[in-house]
Amino acid sequence: MISWRSTYCVAALALAVAVVPSQAQETIKIGAPLALSGKFVSYGAAAKRGVEMAVDIYGGKAANKKIDVLFRDTQSDAQAAVNSFTQLLSEEKVNYLVGPIATPMAMAGLPAWRRTKALWVVPGATTPLLEEEAGKEPMMFHTFPYAYHYHISLAKILRERLGAGKTVAIIYSDDSYGREHLPYAQKYFAQEGFKIVAEELVRAGATDLNPVLAKIRRARPDILLGLVQTTDGITLAKQAFVQRLGVSYLVGTAYPQLKQWQDATAEAQESWLGVTTYIPGLKAKADPNYPKLFPDSDKWIAEFTKRYNREPEFIDVGAYVSTMMLLLAIDKAGGDNKEKVAEELKKLDVQTMIGRGHFAPTGNGTLNQAFSDVVVHQRVKGKDAILFPKEFETSKTVEQATYAK
Amino acid sequence: MNSTRAWMVIAAAFLVALVLPHFLPPGLSELATRLSTLILVAVSWNMMANAGLISLGHSGFWGLGAYTAALLANAVHMPFWLTIVPAMILGGGFGVLLAYITGRLRGLFFAISTLAMAEALRVIALMVPKLTGGAEGLFVFDEIRPGRETMTSFALCLAVATVAISYFLSKSRFQYALRAMRDSESAVQMLGVNPARFRMGVTALSGAIASCAGVISAWYTGYLDPGAAFDMKITISAQIAPLFGGLYTVSGPVIGAAAIMTLSELTRIYFGYSAGVGLLVYGVILVFGVLFMPSGVVGLYGRWRNRSKRRGALAEGRP
Amino acid sequence: MVGLLLQILADALLLGGVYTLMAIGLSLAFGVTRIINFAHGDVVMYGAYGAFFAFAGLNIDPLLSLPMVAILGGIGGYLLFKMTLDRILNDISINQVLLTFGLGLVLQNVAVILWTGDERSTTPSYAFDSWLFSDDIVIAKGRVIAFVIAVLFVIMLLAWLRWSELGRATRAVSQNQAAASLMGINVRAMYGLSFALSSAFGAATGAIMSFLLPITPFMGFPIMVKAFAIIILGGMDSVIGTVLGAFFLAIAETAIAYLVPQGIGWAEGVAFFLMVLMLIARPAGILGTAGRDA
Repeated sequence: MISWRSTYCVAALALAVAVVPSQAQETIKIGAPLALSGKFVSYGAAAKRGVEMAVDIYGGKAANKKIDVLFRDTQSDAQAAVNSFTQLLSEEKVNYLVGPIATPMAMAGLPAWRRTKALWVVPGATTPLLEEEAGKEPMMFHTFPYAYHYHISLAKILRERLGAGKTVAIIYSDDSYGREHLPYAQKYFAQEGFKIVAEELVRAGATDLNPVLAKIRRARPDILLGLVQTTDGITLAKQAFVQRLGVSYLVGTAYPQLKQWQDATAEAQESWLGVTTYIPGLKAKADPNYPKLFPDSDKWIAEFTKRYNREPEFIDVGAYVSTMMLLLAIDKAGGDNKEKVAEELKKLDVQTMIGRGHFAPTGNGTLNQAFSDVVVHQRVKGKDAILFPKEFETSKTVEQATYAK
Repeated sequence: MNSTRAWMVIAAAFLVALVLPHFLPPGLSELATRLSTLILVAVSWNMMANAGLISLGHSGFWGLGAYTAALLANAVHMPFWLTIVPAMILGGGFGVLLAYITGRLRGLFFAISTLAMAEALRVIALMVPKLTGGAEGLFVFDEIRPGRETMTSFALCLAVATVAISYFLSKSRFQYALRAMRDSESAVQMLGVNPARFRMGVTALSGAIASCAGVISAWYTGYLDPGAAFDMKITISAQIAPLFGGLYTVSGPVIGAAAIMTLSELTRIYFGYSAGVGLLVYGVILVFGVLFMPSGVVGLYGRWRNRSKRRGALAEGRP
Repeated sequence: MVGLLLQILADALLLGGVYTLMAIGLSLAFGVTRIINFAHGDVVMYGAYGAFFAFAGLNIDPLLSLPMVAILGGIGGYLLFKMTLDRILNDISINQVLLTFGLGLVLQNVAVILWTGDERSTTPSYAFDSWLFSDDIVIAKGRVIAFVIAVLFVIMLLAWLRWSELGRATRAVSQNQAAASLMGINVRAMYGLSFALSSAFGAATGAIMSFLLPITPFMGFPIMVKAFAIIILGGMDSVIGTVLGAFFLAIAETAIAYLVPQGIGWAEGVAFFLMVLMLIARPAGILGTAGRDA
């Protein structure tokens, strides 16, 4: 006697089984392991905005398949980062990764990435350790400057504007950030003829920098270079100002561009130089071939502000551009074939809001590097004067720092 | 449960530990490994707490174990299962040092000292980059890293071994000494146990176990840095798990660890990826746990069982 | 050379003022209740945020918003105490440690959710001013203000402890709980009062910190750890001891930072090192009377 109920069940099951895998074939999955909580949350949140906006503007589909971005929270924690990577690579079997931004997260994920070597777009991670360990991998695409790129540009521009024979004092924080920047600052400033007269360590999160500032003041340098992260950058700027450091030129790394740094340091921010990949006021023109994807800076900023009710910062833009390039490459490759996509990615040459989007070797070990040019800017009267590169330059002079009266 | 049955359970557990990982999907395998390391530090912390020693620096042992494993792996390519030995020696040694330095200090003072020592280790790891890679971190030599299944089996086996040790300890004569130590170290002497040496034994064993957790984590992640290896969160989890599951019991830390992991995964799934929610939940659990569930899940279960026994007795007319 | 020594001295003294502020609240609470409040740093953090929002939103100078912030902090602290610690006063100490720890986690992460991890700061003009002496010695106005406030707080607290009814009752509880309750003092009420005061001081400290340090939800923990080290050094149940401990630590840290190469890297470890030394040599601290079996 045939049981109708069981027949229906079997039929339903068979239908479900038939439908589900074919649905899976219709999407291309992109993994995005980002710090959506913990201390790197500002990076992760920014990257998420950039990625989402890019996918949306692209139309949500590439190579005729739906794009599915799988965000995973690395929680600013190494083990969680490893879990995110493994989950995305081994379980979801993604072929493309975008992120993380923060160096420790990228480093933690690296061993896991090695097992499957998905196409990895890294819109962050300035550490040369990445270059050492994964630079020569053809599937790794680095879309952010390395620490040494900061110093190449800084040293060059300072030499050009200030002349020969100046002295530099370096302050660096004792975390991975400071220590990774230090050797490059030393190398490239020395290369440009600067004499390094002091190198002082500060504890990340220190409350009192006076001892270090006093030592620096005694060395009487022309330039102070502060290789620290944002929180220490605030303390450094404020205390240098109050303690009348007396150094003519104050140079930071990525922090002088951040609104939170500017708000917190108030008058102490004046004349600080910084580096970034993107800054408001940078008037980039749309790409002639893809004006909808890479519009004029102003247009793009307006669209971003409309969506998210805030001004974009460098990570928002960087993630947007990186994702856009990946989507373009997927489309050109015609399908979910990571080798083909890699090929197309390498062939891309676009004009973006952060400069030329084109992958080339760094000469130091990375095969696929884009966006290694940095913008050098100076805080003048609450606005940014752009000193480098030439096509975006808005000012010829480098202002000297002033201190508490 | 008598001895032979205990041994049978343990043997069965080992078998499961060795075989299960080969059938688990990668996500569950991750969870199993993380659960094992949590069980290790939870049992270890519980052991110290059992003797009245509150450790606020358990992350120190973890970091010590992790760095030992990583450095030996890189320097002499020591295989992962062998790195346990030096890690345990160092962890145990550090525990002894702790006991020795703190002398007869108890409670709060001991807790602060553990915090100080863990912090000291972290600062050392930062300030000698030539040895430890400093703030930039250290990669574990990739070629000798074992596969996922092996690592998970390894972790699970260690977890089983640890719980077994904890069980046998609870059945031994040391158990009475431990309980006595909680209240007063002078009372311990009346039991014929040398308190100083006993304390050192406890901290040594506890430290050795916690270091193993670090070893697993180093091999599993393949990368470590002082911030992650000596993270305060390790200490926090090591405390919450036994508290939630039931302090001073054998199964408490295990149940608590499982509960904590489940909770943390659930919050991640339901609260998506909002900043700070995970730790907020931890904090709330801690507060509510202390206020309303001081004997943890095990305590609740015990009370429920007693109540049903009593109800049963009343029903039968017995007092 | 003299200039350097004078600068070190000046820096150490001013830093001592800041440290005193950090520790004074914790010292009061611990001295009376013998409970370490792991959430103390987070109370300071909330005070800082309070001052920040008053400054950014209503343009009120931190020094002016300080009393309000202190009062709110005190009320908040009392409520927290009543809802949580009050119930477990007779539990084993581990439970109290875990509870305040948990409270700290909750407070910190609520702040993260509400205000994100972005750094903030109040920027009153005196935070950017300094005095210059003999071309080499610079004294920051903001720090001097912190120093003055610290002195004020200490004097206020000592006066209250010495001359007011409640203050003397508090001291009694701190010295000998059993005797105090025999004298008719409501020990639990005293506990609540101490916590309230401790939180008030903590929040006030936060208002001062708002222009000295970047404000983040994570600023609390290092502050609490420092405060801890200070009260261990100075003696947990003595206000003057705490002050001495604060200055002792400040001098040690400043001297090491100035005189030892890379000193500032090790300076943070100094606090712990001294703390452990003190615990071994004289657990009661410089002026404390807490016994060994506390």
